[in-house]
Amino acid sequence: MFKAIVSASTLRDALDSVSVLVEECKIRLNEDDLSIRAVDPANVGMVDLTLDAASFESYEADGGVIGVNLSKLEDFVGMANADQLVELELDEETRKLNIRIDGLSSTLALIDPDSIRQEPDIPDLDLPAEIVLEGAQLDRGIKAADMVSDHVRLRVDDAEEAFHIQAQGDTDDVDFQLDAEDLIDLTSGTADSLFSLDYLKDMNKAIPKDAEVTVELGEEFPVKLHYRIAEGQGNVTYMLAPRIQSD
Amino acid sequence: MQFAEFATRASEMEAEPADLATVALVRDLFCDAGDDLPVVVRFVHGRVFPAWDSTTLDVGPRLLRGAIARAAGQNVTAADVEDRLAEEGEIGAVAAGYDFGGQRGLAAFAGGDDDGLTVAEVDETLRELAAAAGSGSEDRKLNTLFGLFNRTTPEEARYLARLVLGEMRIGVGEGTVRDAIAEAFLAVEETGETTDSEADDEPNDETRDETDGETRDESEERAAADDDEDPLTRATDEQLRAVERALQVSNDHGMVAAVARDDGESGLADVRLEVGRPVQAMLAQAGTAADALDEWGEAAVERKFDGARVQVHVEPDDEGETAGVSLYSRNMDDVTAALPDVVEFVESRVDAPVILDGEVVAVDDDGAPRPFQEILRRFRRKHDVDRMRDAVRVELHAFDCLHADGEDLLDAPVTERHARLSDVLDDAGAVSDLLVSDDGDEIAAFEEAALEAGHEGIMLKNPASAYSPGNRGKNWLKRKPDVETVDLVVTGAEWGEGRRANHLGTFLLSVRDGGDYVEIGKVATGITDEELADLSTLLEPEIVSENGQTVELNPSVVFEVGYEEIQASPTYSSGYALRFPRFVAVREDKEVADADSLARIERLAESESR
Repeated sequence: MFKAIVSASTLRDALDSVSVLVEECKIRLNEDDLSIRAVDPANVGMVDLTLDAASFESYEADGGVIGVNLSKLEDFVGMANADQLVELELDEETRKLNIRIDGLSSTLALIDPDSIRQEPDIPDLDLPAEIVLEGAQLDRGIKAADMVSDHVRLRVDDAEEAFHIQAQGDTDDVDFQLDAEDLIDLTSGTADSLFSLDYLKDMNKAIPKDAEVTVELGEEFPVKLHYRIAEGQGNVTYMLAPRIQSD
Repeated sequence: MQFAEFATRASEMEAEPADLATVALVRDLFCDAGDDLPVVVRFVHGRVFPAWDSTTLDVGPRLLRGAIARAAGQNVTAADVEDRLAEEGEIGAVAAGYDFGGQRGLAAFAGGDDDGLTVAEVDETLRELAAAAGSGSEDRKLNTLFGLFNRTTPEEARYLARLVLGEMRIGVGEGTVRDAIAEAFLAVEETGETTDSEADDEPNDETRDETDGETRDESEERAAADDDEDPLTRATDEQLRAVERALQVSNDHGMVAAVARDDGESGLADVRLEVGRPVQAMLAQAGTAADALDEWGEAAVERKFDGARVQVHVEPDDEGETAGVSLYSRNMDDVTAALPDVVEFVESRVDAPVILDGEVVAVDDDGAPRPFQEILRRFRRKHDVDRMRDAVRVELHAFDCLHADGEDLLDAPVTERHARLSDVLDDAGAVSDLLVSDDGDEIAAFEEAALEAGHEGIMLKNPASAYSPGNRGKNWLKRKPDVETVDLVVTGAEWGEGRRANHLGTFLLSVRDGGDYVEIGKVATGITDEELADLSTLLEPEIVSENGQTVELNPSVVFEVGYEEIQASPTYSSGYALRFPRFVAVREDKEVADADSLARIERLAESESR
């Protein structure tokens, strides 16, 4: 059983954060929240999303799992204005999701959850550095890096207490330095890892510019990016595996 | 089986020049494949899907280069990969030249170990790739391929890249696969003189047994020493035929291998045609009525339709009523969606289950055949099907029946199959007229009438012969007016691939248009390796510029090129293209100014369409 009403903008923010990585996913309809966990086909980038029951206008669920094609679902939800409410209801018999937006009702055929790539185990990482910044700052660093390279180096300089978003191209370099006072918060530690911009750009697309993004970083370790959505009632965590830094 | 193991075996096959030794290597691979046998059998000759299945990965060279670039590492672009390809000549070597694996996976941090790719995993991932469709599918395909390459060693990368493009280049063709299946699972160990404990040793071949005065011990020693590369062929002709037959009927090498292993020859004999699983079309050689009558005494004669070959599969529903109709091209591609009018016709006139062979022909309002190029406007069309349906009327002309009402008819003679065809197809106009005659004059009159009616010529069939799928044997002959040739200027070429990387392989042909040259097609067939080397020597000094594998040539050499038809085509700047172009000779006696002009091509095309 699943029946929920949610604002279109909340649902869209949530779905966007997953659809940048995968085309299909399982949605867990838990009693207290809705959650999605998915990893990209190359097993490099992962997303872990929860939307608390409190982020819905109304929410009833009993722990089922459904499989959806995200771009189709996003198309349907895209028919709503940001401030409109979307009503979702699972038809247990037909295994279809009924979606109602004002007078518009549509039916989305679901996918057998068993046919969807397995949900990843979440690496349990103890990362030494933690940077809290605005989505817009991260966006600026990533855009700058993208001008010169297809990879970006995220680094915390423990001595100068600064976070660097750096990139090195064949001929050109960029370095975006954010000191402790530029940041919302910084827990300094030795951290330096290289990441593919193909992934980071996609993740960045989903991160609202005004969101407070927490970046957890280590030495040649995956990076964790998390931010809250749905006015604090939802959480998105991205994890991205590093590329080995030659020399 | 680990994919690394498969790659190692593949590289051994690639390094092995002798055919028999290659068969032995493939046989050993099949014996060791276990549950992965069907996949390994397909992979070894560059397939992910069975031959009958027209599903493709739909990954072009460009996408593959992108995936390789991404796995290759920081700031390697698809253009860099393309540059290397121009140097190496072959994508496998390019992929093997990079050091992949710089991008780590998350699993390594979640306590999981990467035990390396398995054959089953590669298969599953490539099938997922093939299923990706719709918006963003290009990106997902690139990402998926990147994920695979990221986990490969250079040797694995070499064969993964080739597998993705469907060309393994390890000297293993369909024949090798057939022989290896028979060797692996049907050939009986010669245990006569060897003891049980040596049953795994290769038995000696006959030449060795004939060696006079050699003691048993010496001979065994030699056998043991040769063990690794002993290219023994022990399968009997009968066993090879059993495999061959099952392959022809099913076009599923993986399945046939598993049946041979699990159920032996009797299992293979039970492999049947299946409605919905296309078989290769039987093909014809060029020949004359005189050839036919000399050989067979009498000949079954039909009009040769100038259309596109089509295989019609009609499936019954639970009540036995005609339900699903599928149409396949000569190469077993599914062309059902492009020909709704043929589907409707079959639905109303044919009793399921049945498999028919025929031609789809474009016709004018009077029902007279139109040129071949008209049918091409319909065949394989994905868009505007309805509009083209009105613009180009087509008709089905069936001439053979391979399966009717649960009974396979491949082994039945032409005349019986034709009789069954008349039974199952309720429209005399759609069933080919069959003349069985031993009279040369009668056949000549039939041919004349066929040509006059606008057909391409006649087909001559051995009335007693079976249907041999995929076989261009002597039991079917096509009789057509003589093939024409034209003299064309070579204005460009492409470097070959693999073994031919140092030679120009495909030649761009042009005709004179005033003082200029306009392109009319490419020729790559009909050229021997030796001629290829000579042509490269002749043309290399004429290279004006190079771009990747493509070169532009100074117009200086004239080729005589055979063709079957000239058709209007937007592909080339002349507005025409040659159907089935074939290299005949270099016209050393001709200057480029003596080559054929566009005006002559226009006249030839016009005279053909009459």
